[in-house]
Amino acid sequence: MKKFSHVNALTIDEAVSILRRYGDRASLIAGGTDLLGKMKDRILSRYPEALVNLKTIPGLDFIKEENRILEIGALTRLEDIAIDQTVRGGYAALAQAANRTASPHLREMGTIGGNICQDIRCWYYRHPNNRFPCLRKGGGRCYAIEGDNRYHSIFGGSVEEGCYAVHPSDTAPALIALDAEIRTSKRTIKAGDFFQVEVTKTTVLDEDEIVTKILVPRPPENAKSGFVKFALRKTIDFPIVNCAALISSSEGKVSAARICLNAGYVKPYRASRAEEVIVGKTFNEADAEAAGSAAVSEAKPLPHNGYMVQIAKTMVKRAILACG
Amino acid sequence: MKEAMSKFLCPYCSTTFGVFEELKAHAISDHKTESVPAPEGLIRLTVNREVHEIQVEPQWTLNYLIHDRLGLTSPKMFCDRGACGSCTVILDGRPILSCMTLAIECDGTTIETAEGIAKSNHPLLDSYVKHHTMQCGYCTPGFITTSKAFLDRNPNPTEEEIREALSGNLCRCGTYPQHPKAVLEAAKNLREG
Ligand SMILES: Cc1cc2nc3c(=O)[nH]c(=O)nc-3n(C[C@H](O)[C@H](O)[C@H](O)COP(=O)(O)OP(=O)(O)OC[C@H]3O[C@@H](n4cnc5c(N)ncnc54)[C@H](O)[C@@H]3O)c2cc1C
Ligand code: SF4
Repeated sequence: MKKFSHVNALTIDEAVSILRRYGDRASLIAGGTDLLGKMKDRILSRYPEALVNLKTIPGLDFIKEENRILEIGALTRLEDIAIDQTVRGGYAALAQAANRTASPHLREMGTIGGNICQDIRCWYYRHPNNRFPCLRKGGGRCYAIEGDNRYHSIFGGSVEEGCYAVHPSDTAPALIALDAEIRTSKRTIKAGDFFQVEVTKTTVLDEDEIVTKILVPRPPENAKSGFVKFALRKTIDFPIVNCAALISSSEGKVSAARICLNAGYVKPYRASRAEEVIVGKTFNEADAEAAGSAAVSEAKPLPHNGYMVQIAKTMVKRAILACG
Repeated sequence: MKEAMSKFLCPYCSTTFGVFEELKAHAISDHKTESVPAPEGLIRLTVNREVHEIQVEPQWTLNYLIHDRLGLTSPKMFCDRGACGSCTVILDGRPILSCMTLAIECDGTTIETAEGIAKSNHPLLDSYVKHHTMQCGYCTPGFITTSKAFLDRNPNPTEEEIREALSGNLCRCGTYPQHPKAVLEAAKNLREG
């Protein structure tokens, strides 16, 4: 890697003030599993002048539940979330999502904060040495739309950018289904409002803003949540499509549902059509399948990714049945 | 302590020291100072029970430090992108990828590599040989470190748990079926002492 300067931040305030001083020339580093890959491949025209290490800030690595709210520090490793008994018990979709992310080693390193702030994986965008200076890097065109788009969005591009790169996170849909909130150094943001598509950006965070913790309200007693993921290999690989659901029911009938797909659209994709269809139904194959079909009713696949529509539909169906 | 690679200059009398701790002790006793600030990039870490104090560059990965600087060649560089497991070392009990870790962020940590596991005569070694768990052998240290960290946490694993724990380690020779056998046997030998 090319040289950069490195600062071990000791407090959030210190990290924020370093970010302010450097402007867009500094990057935060948590587990580093996403960031270092980008730096090694020099995918962007700009290389960070400084890295600000968040791991040296005490008190950002914890899991606790108080007053029916689960709190997870931004620096908490995915493996710790996956094996935590409280998370597995009350917030199954999140534990399952963390458990299906990347590989065992990457889960020991990667943090939840880094997971929701990670960059896109479009192979044109990620090609070494900024070979494809596409729209998402501030360039003039999208190479995926005319090239190989087998892993791109099936629900259209982002309006402003015409970019079809999907959001790759496994924990994001679980956090949205569970109606979590993201606490930052400045404000609290609903997980559903956290993701945004801009040039070299995937979230609504300002340049000097840091995620400090995640808050997840405990689902009601009559609710169950679940997460499913389809990937080429069971491990290491990013999702082709994943889906998380939180479904409440009484007397066997669905009374409320929150369903979120990811890796199928430029942001996590709330399957509100599927939610409407499944409410009032019992847990059975046919109704879950109908909800799956409703979820993809607005799909507009690209030339090479039609297969993802079928997968998205099945992911919705399986996520619903996992909550039964 | 292993001899450090850097020289440290006393700001008061210009005497040089091989190890920062010696300079610190010298400044306190001979110059009656409180302490001298550690230079940026100076880290101390324990690798296979040996303490190293070394001046690192921010862009060095932990793999570069261990493999190229400390000369412990077991953490193999293969994909260099966190996708194959060959560079796995155990850092404070966790199996992690040394290619995706910055050396400068490892100050104060304790690291174990396959060399250290070999020296400790861990039963994994015999069971790996017995079950022919390698062909070219390049990925083996990554499997050994991952298995050791796993057995430290889970001394009585099922075959399924072993497969899951090793699922981030790739082997191009295709030795996969042998690993659960070797790890199960090592676990048994560990428990029976
Ligand atoms: C081979 C491989 C496979 C992978 N597979 C998957 C997968 O299947 N699913 C998946 O979801 N991910 C996957 N990943 C991506 C990545 O490893 C994980 O998303 C991981 O959780 C990222 O966390 P990190 O702490 O390592 O992030 P870092 O690399 O440290 O940070 C990622 C980005 O987030 C920013 N950031 C980090 N923390 C904060 C914070 N607290 N506040 C504000 N910004 C912050 C950083 O500046 C950086 O831009 C994979 C990565 C690799 C290399
Ligand atoms: S999909 Fe987006 S990131 Fe990929 S080439 Fe097109 S504009 Fe760039």
